[in-house]
Amino acid sequence: MRNLKRHDASDIFIHWFNAGCWFLLLVSGLGLIKNERVNPLGAWLPDMLRGLLGGGSSGGAVLLVVHEVIGLAWVLGLAAYVLVNAGGARSFLREIFSIRPGDLSWLVRKMGRMTVGVGGQLPPQGYYNMGQKAFAQASVVGGVVIVASGALLLLSDKLVPASAAWLVGWAVTVHYLAVGLVFAGLLVHIYMAAISPEEKPGFRSMFTGHVPEDYARHHHGLWVQALDAADEAVGKKAEPQPRGAEEF
Amino acid sequence: MNQRLAMVIDSSKCIDCKGCVAACKQANGVSRGVWRNWIKEAVPLAQNGGAKVQKLGPGHFQPGACMHCDEPSCLAACPTGATFKNTADGSVVIDPQLCIGCGNCIPACPYGARFRDPVKRIADKCNYCPERRAAGLAPACVDTCPTKARVFGDINDPNSEAAKLLAANQGRVVRVIAKGPGKNWDTKPNMYYIASTAPEGWAVQPVNPLSFDFLAGVVAPAVKWAVGLSGLGVLVMLGRQLVAGSGSGGATQSRHGQDGQDKKEDHHA
Repeated sequence: MRNLKRHDASDIFIHWFNAGCWFLLLVSGLGLIKNERVNPLGAWLPDMLRGLLGGGSSGGAVLLVVHEVIGLAWVLGLAAYVLVNAGGARSFLREIFSIRPGDLSWLVRKMGRMTVGVGGQLPPQGYYNMGQKAFAQASVVGGVVIVASGALLLLSDKLVPASAAWLVGWAVTVHYLAVGLVFAGLLVHIYMAAISPEEKPGFRSMFTGHVPEDYARHHHGLWVQALDAADEAVGKKAEPQPRGAEEF
Repeated sequence: MNQRLAMVIDSSKCIDCKGCVAACKQANGVSRGVWRNWIKEAVPLAQNGGAKVQKLGPGHFQPGACMHCDEPSCLAACPTGATFKNTADGSVVIDPQLCIGCGNCIPACPYGARFRDPVKRIADKCNYCPERRAAGLAPACVDTCPTKARVFGDINDPNSEAAKLLAANQGRVVRVIAKGPGKNWDTKPNMYYIASTAPEGWAVQPVNPLSFDFLAGVVAPAVKWAVGLSGLGVLVMLGRQLVAGSGSGGATQSRHGQDGQDKKEDHHA
């Protein structure tokens, strides 16, 4: 069976780098919220993390530095990816923001099939299906909002003048909202990609970079058709990819 | 027993010299244009007509600063816990390393004790001079007061000067109380005025910035709902995967080839 290339090494790296940063930033960020009106999980997490880092407000101060350093590393990593693989980043953005006829129908039918088992035939999907696109859109838009509000918070005691101090309070609110909504999507993303058996080849491709052709034809039919069309245009069949990649 | 640091002020002794204000600025390097403490006039000046200013009655001077309340409204507005009640001595502390400068606490204090430091760009207020206390000295404002109107100490210690003064003035102690939405809001300030002081109603109602009320009242519940619904969806899908197995898993796997074939034929047709 033929394997199709789906991700570059830099794509795979940035995916897992992003995932790792998200995990660390989410945990440290939750630890930074210590107010009973807005603690999402109660006081135990901030208290525990602060306890591990020296206790009390000084533990919180260490946690704040940890959060800021990881946040900075996250932004630098994403920027480095865009520099290394500008074409990949561009085609990713183009792909996730292009909605085709049938995509919304796919989304509704897929949700019905996955939850209550009703939904009927799914319209064919491209390189990403509509669910992947929706989460990718949320991640990109949410990421921009998170970085912008985070940068404002980072610089609040360095650059923000008194006249703009009110923005800092709103940056907290917006930061919280964006992280919360992307996290809600992240739960579905993790289930669909890593736990649902149907998507296992897609999950493996986030390590190997390749997917089996029949999986691609079934899940991303329009993508494979476009590949076939491109192959026909240059008058040759795509070279079969080495099978070894699948062993990972 | 833990300490409960407080200031007991005999405002009839205050001569409005502003020595405490100057000493505080000097001792704490408080930035230009802002002050950690103040002297208010219990009987305010009344504007009479135009430029003519006239006092109504003899009046009292009321030295003040952060009242290190037992139920501080500023704490409830801080998102990070950078401002907190020090359980060892009862003081309300700002940790400048953890303060993110959101400014929520400033309008949340009904006494106007907090401000945004224009240089450090974070919240600041009286901290009872911890460096001086560590060296065995009284806070700068207390030390410098020529008439000893400000008395500072641990009122949990019955032998402290502050506790004795409070005990000797039972029934004549006055505190400044914040205004509330309905009834007044007692934040239990640890600043006590004795003698003939009658504090004017200058304290205001503690308020949160809209950004924080919106976060606590709308955004936080909305995020909980979104994450809850998403989590519920995942649990339903997982349950279906574990129980039925067919709707999403195995059967689809076996249909892969066929479906792909169908789509391909559609395309070529």
